[in-house]
Amino acid sequence: MVLLQPDPFLNELTSMFEHSTEKGTVWVTLKRSSLKSKVQRNKMAAAGEPLEYRCLIRATNGKKTISTSVGPKDHQRFQASYATILKAHMTSLKKRERKDKKKVAGADKKEGGSKKPKRA
Amino acid sequence: MVYITSWDEFVERSAQLFRADPDSTRYVMKYRHCDGKLVLKVTDDKECLKFKTDQAQDAKKMEKLNNIFFTLMSRGPDADVSEVTGKEQTEAQSGKKGRGRKQ
Repeated sequence: MVLLQPDPFLNELTSMFEHSTEKGTVWVTLKRSSLKSKVQRNKMAAAGEPLEYRCLIRATNGKKTISTSVGPKDHQRFQASYATILKAHMTSLKKRERKDKKKVAGADKKEGGSKKPKRA
Repeated sequence: MVYITSWDEFVERSAQLFRADPDSTRYVMKYRHCDGKLVLKVTDDKECLKFKTDQAQDAKKMEKLNNIFFTLMSRGPDADVSEVTGKEQTEAQSGKKGRGRKQ
């Protein structure tokens, strides 16, 4: 598991998306973590120190795993870049067009009319 | 696996799940470009909520959900989320209105 800084992580994530276009999956996991062991956490809680939490982000393509941790200060900048990457790469999803639905409805009516010719 | 059909229900239940147990709740996203499918999963290892889609409009909604989770996770479960983008917009708008009234 490779732990990176947020910016290199974003670069690696981009290349992961690019490489799995034809075949493959990209998994991204988000989890809150203080990045400290249970013992340290108990000590800090006992001492009355506030725990500092960070957001742990992991990404994998099944073969390689990369990760990074984002704190409250840099999380907005990171989420903006992350959103841009996702928008750029999720191009294979279908786009719903209302025009298509209307056309389909119109075609059905026409087909229905032609299929039932009344010949007395 | 519990697949939720309504997006709003998925968002609300995942936020509830996170606030109930912030240390063990995780949000997973799986994207397959070759199939054109996106699957989202939120679990606290006791309960699991999933949402799958192949629609581009859901990708936009997912971005908002990402923002919500980022805010909750880095600032803490008590952070005021209220649809992060909406909150920022209202703050900006109220600022402008204030200036107008003073003038």
